[in-house]
Order: sequence, then C-alpha cells, then structure tokens
Amino acid sequence: MSDLFTRVKLGPSRRQFLQTAAAAGGAAMLPASPGTGEAFAQGAGDTLVIAAPATPQGLDIEFDVSIGSIDSLGALYEYMLAYEKVEDPNAPGVLREDTSVHADKPNNMALKGRLAEAWDVSPDGRSATFKLREGVKSNWGNLFTSKDVKWTWDRKFNLKGQGLFQTAVLGLNSPDQIKVEGDYALSFNLDKPNPLLLKQQCNLANPIYDATKCAAVGGSADPWAVNFLKNDSAGFGPYKLAQLVRGQQAVFEARDDYWDTKPVMKRVIMREVPQSASRFSLLQGGAVDIAQFLQPRELEALKSQKTVAVDAVNSSYMIWLELNAKIAPFDNVDVRRAVNMAIPHDEIIRTIYYGYADPQTAPMPYIYPMADKSFFSFNYDLAKAKALLEKAGAGKGFNTTLSYNAGDPTQEPIALLIQTSLRQIGIELTLEKLPAGVFYENVTKRAKPMIFYLDSPWTPDPGYSTYLYFNSKSYVNYSNYVNTDVDVLITEGLGTLDNAIRLEKYKKVQKTLMEDAPWGFIAYPKYTLARKANLKGFTYYTSNNLRFQDFSRR
Amino acid sequence: MLAIVSLCARIAVIRPRFALGYLIVAIVAVLAILAPLIAPYSPTEADSTNFLQSPGGSHLFGTDNVGMDIFSRAIYAPRIDLTIAILGTVLSALLGGSIGALVGYYSSGRGIRVWVSFAVMRAADVLQAFPVFVFAIALVASLGQSIQTVVLAIAFVNAPIYLRLMRSQVLSLRSMRYVEASTVNGLSDFQTITRHVIPNAMAPVLAQLSINVGWGILLTAALSFIGAGVRAPTPEWGSMIAMGFQNVVTGQWWPSMFPGAMLAITVFGFSLVGTSIEVLADPAKRRQLLNEARQRPAGRAAAASKRQSLEQV
Repeated sequence: MSDLFTRVKLGPSRRQFLQTAAAAGGAAMLPASPGTGEAFAQGAGDTLVIAAPATPQGLDIEFDVSIGSIDSLGALYEYMLAYEKVEDPNAPGVLREDTSVHADKPNNMALKGRLAEAWDVSPDGRSATFKLREGVKSNWGNLFTSKDVKWTWDRKFNLKGQGLFQTAVLGLNSPDQIKVEGDYALSFNLDKPNPLLLKQQCNLANPIYDATKCAAVGGSADPWAVNFLKNDSAGFGPYKLAQLVRGQQAVFEARDDYWDTKPVMKRVIMREVPQSASRFSLLQGGAVDIAQFLQPRELEALKSQKTVAVDAVNSSYMIWLELNAKIAPFDNVDVRRAVNMAIPHDEIIRTIYYGYADPQTAPMPYIYPMADKSFFSFNYDLAKAKALLEKAGAGKGFNTTLSYNAGDPTQEPIALLIQTSLRQIGIELTLEKLPAGVFYENVTKRAKPMIFYLDSPWTPDPGYSTYLYFNSKSYVNYSNYVNTDVDVLITEGLGTLDNAIRLEKYKKVQKTLMEDAPWGFIAYPKYTLARKANLKGFTYYTSNNLRFQDFSRR
Repeated sequence: MLAIVSLCARIAVIRPRFALGYLIVAIVAVLAILAPLIAPYSPTEADSTNFLQSPGGSHLFGTDNVGMDIFSRAIYAPRIDLTIAILGTVLSALLGGSIGALVGYYSSGRGIRVWVSFAVMRAADVLQAFPVFVFAIALVASLGQSIQTVVLAIAFVNAPIYLRLMRSQVLSLRSMRYVEASTVNGLSDFQTITRHVIPNAMAPVLAQLSINVGWGILLTAALSFIGAGVRAPTPEWGSMIAMGFQNVVTGQWWPSMFPGAMLAITVFGFSLVGTSIEVLADPAKRRQLLNEARQRPAGRAAAASKRQSLEQV
C-alpha cells in the first residue's frame, strides 16, 4: 500500500490522467496534416498516392476480382482493343469510354486498337481476325506475339475460373476455336455470330499475358503460372509491380520500354486504409492524391474544400435486393412487385447517397446501350403495394429476413429505411448483418429470402448484362429466377449482330423482367472519385476501376 | 428505517463517490424501466425527412443517418444492455461460483475428485488464456447473432473469474470449525457447501458482480460495435456508436457521442457501486466506515464548539 508521497511521485492524479486522455483523444480526431504520417509518401509531382480500402489480394483476374486487384490490372496489363474516349456530359474534365452504338463506325462501335492494330469481322459475324501490333515488349522484355493471346485464352479453358464465363459468353467451346494465323495474326472462330466478340477484347477480365515468361516460371509443375501470376505480373501494360505487401501497400513503377505514351505518374503507391473516415482525413490533410470509395456524406463534406475535388459519374453499378424465387413468399410475383412498390427510392437516394445515385429503373445499367427505363412501374405507392399483397393472399403480411453486408456501410441504413417502409404494409423484416465473407457465401448459396447485392456487368452490352443475372443457367443468377422465354430472347439477342433485332429482343427481355420483378430494384450508385484538385485525367471505365496511366497534374 | 437511511446518508457524505455510483445506477435503472413513457419517438422507426439533425429543438440529442431519434434510442438502450449484462453476469456467477465451490471444497485429499478439480482449474486456465473479445466473437459467430448468444458469451468469458474467486474463498473457509462441525453433525458435503460454505464466501462475489455488470455492458457494446451483438435497429449503445462514429469526421458528432457518453457513465457508475460493495462486504472496512459515519456528527459538534470557544477568546 503506497503512502501519499509515493502516490504523488509515481503516478498522475486522476485529473491529470483525464486531461491527458482528452488531449490525446482530441489530437486523434484532427485530420492528418502534411508532414505527419511517416507511413505515407507525400506525393512528389510524378508519384501518385492512393488511399484504397484494400491492397490487391491476388493479381490473377482468374481468381480475384477484388477492388485492389482490378485497379492493378489496368496498369499492369494491356488489352487487344479499347473504347474511344469522350467527355462525360455530367462531369467536367472527366472522360469516359464511348460505349454507345455508332451506326457510322466499323462494327457500330467506337473502338481503337491496342495490342491488336487492326481487325476484321467476317460478314456472318462468326469469326474475327486480328492483326497484332509488332514491337511490343512485356515487363520482362519478351516480345508480344500471337502465341501470348492464344496462351491467355487457353488458360481460361484450363483453369476454369472466371475465365470460364468469358469463354461461355462468347460461345467458345474449345481452345481450338482460337487459331494462331501467324506471329502477328490470330483469329477467333465461333459456331454462331456473337455481338460480344469485339467488346470482350476490351473487357478488364481479359488481359493478355506474357506467355514466354509464364512458361519459364511455371514449368511443368505449374504450366499456367498460377502461383506466379497471383503475386506478380507478366504483361504488356504501362506499369510493372515494384512491391506488394498485402495489407499495407502496393507500389507500381512506370515502364520505360512501354510501347505507347509513357505515363506521367512514374510511381504509384496504393496504400491500404480500411476505414473510409481515415481515407477522408488523409485526403483532406493532403497526405494522399486520391481517396477511394468514400461515403457519400464524406464526399459532400469535401465539396467545400478548395484543395480537393470530387468527381461523380453515372456508372454501371447497380444495387438491388435479390428476392429468392425459391423461397416463399417470394415465389409469388405479386409479393415481389409489392416489395418493389414499397421501396422508398427517393428517400434512399437523398438520405443515404446524398444524391450520388439514381433510382434503378431497368434490370441493367442505365448507361448501357438499349437500356430501357420505360418499363419501370414501381413508383412508391404503399396502397398499391398492400393491394398486391392482398392479391397474393398475403394481405395479413408476413415475417422474413433481410440480409446485408457488414462490410458495406450503405447497406445497413438502406435496410433500415426499407424495414420501416415494409412494416407499413405488414411485412416485418428481421435485419441480419453478415460479415463480408459470410455474406458472399450466402449470396452464392442462394440461401436467403432477401439479400442485397451490389455489382456491375463489365461489358456494356444488354445481352451480356441480362445473360449474367437472368439466364436460368447463369452462376450469377442469385435470385433463382427462371423464365424460359427470357432465356430464349437473351440467347437470340446474343446470336445476331443486327442492332435493330437486338433492340427488339432486349426490349422484350426488359419488359418481362420488370413485370416479373426478380429483384427489388433500388439504385444506380455513381462512381465517385475524391482527389486533389490539381490532379487531372480521371477516366471512367465500365469495369469501375482506375487506370493510373490516365493521371497527371495541372 | 430512519436510522438506516440516516446512516446511508452519512456514508454518502463520507464517501461521495459511492453515492454517485448508486445515483448513476439508479438513473439508468429508472430509464430502463420508464423508457417507453419518457421517449418522445419510437427507437426503431426511421424517418428520412429528419436525418442527421443536430441536437436541439424536437430532437434533444439529434438524429442519426436514417432519422432515428438518438435521445429515444439512448434511453431505450439500457433495457437491452442491462438485461444482457445482468443476465450474463448472474449466469456466470452461478456457473463459475458453483463449480468453484466444488473445486475448492474437493481440491485437497485423495481420489478422483482431486484430479477432477485439477482438470477443471486447468480448463479454466485455458479459457482465460483466450483474449476475451476474440472468444466472445467466436461464440457469437458460431451460435448466431442474438441477445441470447451475447448473454451466453458474457457468461462464458466471466465464469472463470467467479470460479477462481469462489475457489479461493472456499479453500480458506473449508478448514473453519463450523464446517467441520457441520460434517460431524452428519450433513452431507452438498448440504455443508450450500448452507455454510457458499453463504460465507459470497462477499467478494457480490462485489465482483457489480463490476462485471459494468464490463458486461462494455462487452455487449463492443460486440455490437463490430456487428456481432444485437441486430439493427435494436437500440443499444455499442451499435449506435458503430452506426454513428463514421459521421464524426464529417462533423456530425452526436450520433456516437451521446451513446458513448452514456455508456461510459454507466460503466463508471457500476464500477463505483462495485467498489462500495467491496468495502461494505469486508467486515473490517465496514466497521471502520460505520464508525467514521457515526463519529462524524459528533466530530462536527466538537469542531463547532471549538470554533465558538476560540471566537470568545
């Protein structure tokens, strides 16, 4: 037991402790200021520092499509084709891919050659021949040839990862359908015409690998270089990987031997900062150039600051409720329609998204060709919703569960608004918060009656989008929706290059889908970028990722 | 009765922090009981027309990001937090205390009982070696998210504390003459333990109970903060802090500060109550305190008399 003298000498008083704790707590609340934070590079003119929710967990698109990974792909790899760029009509200074239908352009698309210098699609639409660009080197110094493209697509067949979808959606059944015609010539040969043949060459999911390097590092034990490509890159893109410390940072360096215009940003540091509030503070304090995926209210708070700019563009993102057609009462179309009529879209967009979203009015991204909002009839109307429930024999209401992702801060408040609204028509929701890993497991298992989903189909095509989510055999048809008429229409639309026929087919598809309401349609969240005001060059891609080579400083 | 109240009042004057602790706990208990009568709004209904309103006007503590009234939710929260914490703590005391009593009673001598006691203590070591929070999360993750699961989590993580506490008390009481007399008089071990040993070993357990209720509230809040506690939109301080803390950086401090302050004050109150029970349960400290309380009025009179005589001089 200490005496008074010892207590005074050895320890702070309670008042001193509380004062110190308050000061420490107050200091912790202050935004980071330039010069603080030794762990963050201060961004010299040609160094781009990004605060990201996560570093890449894997660099192989075959197995990893997480946020950090897809941002890396566009820097490390090159693609056969790309869309021309146009100015975004709603966001000054921002460019976006021109994915519109252009009747006056070859193949009705605004495309430009990347690794493919020229291309030719046969009149029947069943084959495409590509003349490849010569003199392109990989980050390992190997020259690009047709063998690299062949190897890339053979890999998809053999590994059966996400590449299996890429081959299936093109109607490719065998690697033999991709033929090497020469060192710099290659052809894709399909059984049926497919309007996605050229579009898929732009898809972020189809980077071209340096086959020579992959064969050298993999050998016979790992012929498809799975282990190597998870942790490093072998590609023809403008950057190479300098460092990857998962959970901390990834560093990319611009290549001096890149075949196209060298990036202005010579070095890119992607730093993992899991909390959006921390990313917000870092950008506010000038410690980073870009803070990714901030919350809408944080974006609003940044608008008043002169050193920061916020870009918000219409995107391919959609957020919706999967209404499981195999779990009662969502096997009843009138119940699904009733839920849709009770979703408070305007409230959600105003309260949760602060206007950084638009109501979802179609079963595909509204920025995609042939998206049609005219079939949307689910304006908020509780009386009509109640009447639909009566018609379905559920007039007394029912109890069910709404599951949401604990890792997405917008989903819980949206769930609360939907819960309050549905309660008014007698549907009592129990909200179930699931950790991210468990959440996605439940989505893919199709185990829940109602569960959120946020996604975007990367290829800007109505056939691609509807096939992905509504074809009864699609792995991503998480709502268990089955309509053979819709299956036929989707397939027919994917079997012709005639845009007039496609438009007619996909109008019918969208009309049927809006009538069947397999989803609770919620919103189209915008793609937002919070950046330093002196940073320019942001380009929006339908794969919702950044490409570091776009950026420069004013 | 009046004498007891008077004595308590005098103890409160000598030890104001005891009074503060009891006052805090009393207020929280009253809020828990009367919340439906006091709360101006429903604690679970969202109102998007009033989201993130600052404190004042018709919303004393402001509203959160879906328009729920923070004051209403903050005063409803003790119903959940106290229920979970008290149930969990009492369960842990019953479970841990009863096992501890048995282990303490049979931990010497020979036979299988000694080995069982040894094994139980080692199992308690293993249980206590786990970080409390990690163990609670694992339990909630395996059993699912519900109030019952959180109660069980609190019960399991705190049971070893009562096990050790009761065991140490029983070890010292076991050799008392009255225990021997009980055995000689023909009472079974069970009767001896329940009638004579446990009642005399309860003092530190009671003190620990109050402190653990405070910890239980904190653990409940922490589990809810990370999404492993009660389901939304159940009003609970931890989940309110979780929903609101991200707003702090953009200047909306109230959704997390008010429930955070109430949580801190409540845990502090229970901690003070626990300290007071610890003092009152110890015979020597209790005697000293009561003597001080009784002497205090006499002391004041003597001091007043001394002042008067000094003035006259």
